Amino acid sequence: NLFFFLASGGLVQSCGHIIPESPVLALGSNFTALCILNESCLDFGNIYASQIIWKIKNRVVPKEQYREINRTVSSVTFNDTSSLATPLTCNILADGQIEQNIYGITVTVGLPPEKPKNLSCIVHQVSKLTYHMTCTWNPGRHTFLDTQFRLKYRWPRESFPDCIPKDVNNSCTIPDVQFFVNLEIWVEAANALGKAESDPLVLDPIDIVKPLSPHNVTVNSGILPTVLKLSWENRISSAVMKLKFNIRYRIIGDTNWMEIPSEDTASPRTSFSVQGLQPFTEYVFSIRCMKEDGVGYWSDWSEEKTGITTEDKPSKGPPIWRIIDASHSPASWTVHLMWKAMKPSEANGVILQYELTVRDKSSLSSPMKKFNVTSTNLTLQLPNGTYEVTVAARNRVGASPPSVLLIPASNSKAPVKNLRTLPRYDKLWVGWTAPNSYVLKYVIEWCLVSSHSDCIIEWQIAQGDVQGIDLKGIQLVSIKPFKCYLITVYPLYADGQGSGQSVKAYLKQDRPSKGPTVQTKKVGKAEAVLTWNHLTVDEQNGFIRNYTILYKTIDGNETVVTVDPSKTEYTLSSLTSDTLYTVRMMASTDNGSRSGPDFTFTTQKFGKGEIEAIVVPVCLAFLLIVLLAVLFCFNKRDLIKKHIWPIVPDPSKSNIAQWSPQVPAKHNFSSKDQMYPEGSFTDVSVVEIEADDKKSFSEQDLKPFDLLKKEKSTSEGHSSGIGGSSCMSSPRQSVSDSDDGETAQNTSSTVQYSTVVLNGYRDQTPVQVFSRSESTQPLLDSEERSEDHAGGGDSTAQRQQYFKQNGGQDEINTDRPCFDRTKQITHASEGDLVGFVQLQISGQSSQPLGLGMEKNTQEAALSNVFQASTEGETVRPETVEENALSVDEMPKSYLPQTVRQGGYMPQ
Amino acid sequence: SPTGDSWGIFTFLCAALCNLPALPALNCSEELGAGQSIQQTYDLTRYLEHQLRTLAGTYLNYLGPPFNEPDFNPPRLARAERVPSATVDLDLWRGLTDNARLTANYRAYSRLLCYLRVLDGQVGTSELRHRLAHFCASLQGLVLSIGGVMSSLGYPLPAGPAGPPVGPTEAPPAPNDFLKKMDDFWLLKELQTWLWRSAKDFNRLKKKVPPAVVTLRLEARGF
Repeated sequence: NLFFFLASGGLVQSCGHIIPESPVLALGSNFTALCILNESCLDFGNIYASQIIWKIKNRVVPKEQYREINRTVSSVTFNDTSSLATPLTCNILADGQIEQNIYGITVTVGLPPEKPKNLSCIVHQVSKLTYHMTCTWNPGRHTFLDTQFRLKYRWPRESFPDCIPKDVNNSCTIPDVQFFVNLEIWVEAANALGKAESDPLVLDPIDIVKPLSPHNVTVNSGILPTVLKLSWENRISSAVMKLKFNIRYRIIGDTNWMEIPSEDTASPRTSFSVQGLQPFTEYVFSIRCMKEDGVGYWSDWSEEKTGITTEDKPSKGPPIWRIIDASHSPASWTVHLMWKAMKPSEANGVILQYELTVRDKSSLSSPMKKFNVTSTNLTLQLPNGTYEVTVAARNRVGASPPSVLLIPASNSKAPVKNLRTLPRYDKLWVGWTAPNSYVLKYVIEWCLVSSHSDCIIEWQIAQGDVQGIDLKGIQLVSIKPFKCYLITVYPLYADGQGSGQSVKAYLKQDRPSKGPTVQTKKVGKAEAVLTWNHLTVDEQNGFIRNYTILYKTIDGNETVVTVDPSKTEYTLSSLTSDTLYTVRMMASTDNGSRSGPDFTFTTQKFGKGEIEAIVVPVCLAFLLIVLLAVLFCFNKRDLIKKHIWPIVPDPSKSNIAQWSPQVPAKHNFSSKDQMYPEGSFTDVSVVEIEADDKKSFSEQDLKPFDLLKKEKSTSEGHSSGIGGSSCMSSPRQSVSDSDDGETAQNTSSTVQYSTVVLNGYRDQTPVQVFSRSESTQPLLDSEERSEDHAGGGDSTAQRQQYFKQNGGQDEINTDRPCFDRTKQITHASEGDLVGFVQLQISGQSSQPLGLGMEKNTQEAALSNVFQASTEGETVRPETVEENALSVDEMPKSYLPQTVRQGGYMPQ
Repeated sequence: SPTGDSWGIFTFLCAALCNLPALPALNCSEELGAGQSIQQTYDLTRYLEHQLRTLAGTYLNYLGPPFNEPDFNPPRLARAERVPSATVDLDLWRGLTDNARLTANYRAYSRLLCYLRVLDGQVGTSELRHRLAHFCASLQGLVLSIGGVMSSLGYPLPAGPAGPPVGPTEAPPAPNDFLKKMDDFWLLKELQTWLWRSAKDFNRLKKKVPPAVVTLRLEARGF
């Protein structure tokens, strides 16, 4: 704030002030404030009322609300105080535009108090002699101001000090209350804006007392077993008020209170005898009181006290029933008598024993048998007949009237009709139509049907006049939902008993706990026979109404078939052949269904007999063809023989053969063992050519393509076996082998059938194995060819290669026929080769040795058996290696390069 | 005579009928006021009797022997005469008018209250003081109540020490402690007697002035 200094006094003085100072205003009213400037300041600061600016907080009040009253006074008027806020300041525009504050006031806006409403009072008894009166009221709207509430009360000519509420504004407690003098009570609310009083309440505080509840309640059993006497103390003197009471009681464990008629306890008292109680029952009592004339309030209920009535004779006999087991012998029964422990309300005490009598009604002379038992069953061995059984329960006071059960010789009477059940709420209702004659009682037997346990019979007796009872009471413990119960009803007549009628029932059904597991029994091309087992009783959870079979192909729609619940087999028809089907089965009760596991099956490609229908004719046709071919061959055998086995001159019989003491090749064949005298090549596989091959033809040109085909296949089969053993060696190695082993070319070329090229195992000496050809072909050819090798070997090789590429048959044509007998021979000296399971060519370096050895032996054994055509055969080993895996591929795998490089080596 | 009675009843009923609309507002409240305030005064008297029974026992114990002995019956000293005595002959008392009795009651309790207040200020234990204060307040209520009954019956309130008590200035201080205790003893004893007699008075008065509204309502129902 800016102050103007008075030059004269040097005192700091405000240049003006606002009237009124710090007003408290009613919300919504209008308000005018005046700003009065000091005269002295007018001269000093040269300021006038016209320059005054009013502000609320920092907001300038519009000029329209100002009024210049005179030179020094400006007023501002607000039509509605709700627009006001603190502070309201009076400012002045001095020295041009500089705003100076002159004075400010605090404005408080609020509401006057409302008239307090709904004043009500209650006198609480705090102790025997102390009473507090608490009055409450509705304080009305919020006033935004500090509002004082005072509870005022007075007698006609006597005032009391006000009761001032603490911390609250709507209630106050007067600690000392005087009864029997009318008190005028009212509430006064006051704040800066006003004062309001409630309507006065005129009352005698005795009329609004809420007394303390009676205490020290005691319960004593009276002489009678149905009476209990209640005594208590009142905590309010009868000089203050007379009381009336409410007494409530309940059986212990029960939650429902019973109340004694209030008119019975409407007068002052300190004890009461409660009658009509059940014997031997524990009761809980509670009591409350209020002013006798009903003016005022009920006290709280007193603490609960219990008491037990004394025992009385059991009111009725226990219900009795029997199970007759006649299975041991037809003439005698095992009778299981069973009766129920009585309800406490009927037992009226502790049952000490049951007294049974059994009387044979068929013979009057037989004495009555008596039994005293403490259990609730008795098993008797009785001869067939009609018996009357009675049972009575005895407690300390006495025995009950007996219950009678007639056991007739046979259940020959009429049974009940139309036995049916109905779930009602959580009980199972069993109903039936009564037989025509008068029925004393009905016995309802029931048991839980389960696959795990026997049907344990429970039972209940219904009086003869009912036609249906709720299996209630016991229902809670025995009738469970989702379980199958077998219920049997027997009517009991005065002179006999009807046969039992049974029905199965569920209290509540659920969907089955699992679905049936479906399997195929037989699968055909277009149909499948499905089979499944019924669900067990425990799994059913209800009556199975139907089975549903759902089947589908992998991508097809599901097909649904509903099956009668009695079936365990179903045939699906119209299936697609050779198709995977997924089938599952659903069992449905009234309350839902559940699927079993999926089962998949594939329909057959062919129907029954279809394969036979195809295979048999085909076989027959094949046999026919073979037969025809054989016949043809037989007919043309001369011609064939001419083509295939031409007569070859025997070199052994030639004159030239005389130079060598060696036995012809045929000899080798026949005496294989002699070739290997040591007999140590046990592991060397031996390829034998069939006898047919013996008749190999020597002429290269005599190779009719088709006729030789068969031969080729057989010989190839053998070579594959060798190739398989030599598959370890790589083609490259073989190639290089061929390159290096030129000297071996001769020898290798002598091997007509196959050369097995093997790697040496690690550092073991590799050995090249050749199958040996013992050809009868003239040597001349081979000699000629071998001579050609040096010069024109390439061209020859090329030619042969051409052959091979064109067709495997050609190659075979050249080669195979030449083998008269082919054996796999190791060309190393016998001693060196001992122990080799597989003979291998390990590498280039070792090859010369092997080849050399080979050469030696071969030259020794087969020096003359060189054949021109075998040149091409040097490729064979490699071929074998490459195609070791597949016999069929062998012919294709001939590589031209191999032939060029290794297949043709000039010696 | 029977005819007069029936006439009387008839006229009364006629009057009652005529006044029926106005009954709850005017007539009843007047009549009810008298009956109810008599009943209330009677109840209060009984309540005070009950209170005094326990209070006197406690207070006499506080005074100590011989005052708390049950057969203690000291002679009434002259200085105790200032306490209004209820030992008026019962027949004589009954012979008084209602107004006279009420006035006597009113005066007596007003005086007794003054002395009681003196007593209140002297008591040592807070419990006793509290109960005495409560009793005093109730007794004051009784004085007011009697005044209410008198005014409801149309009797003038007696002049004199009505309303706020005059104070202990009237009573000279007891010369010694025993005599003071004797004063207290007599005060309680007189109070007991007065309350016993007042209860009888109000019970009789209650019967004399029946709760009018009930009668009227019964009549109205009879029609």
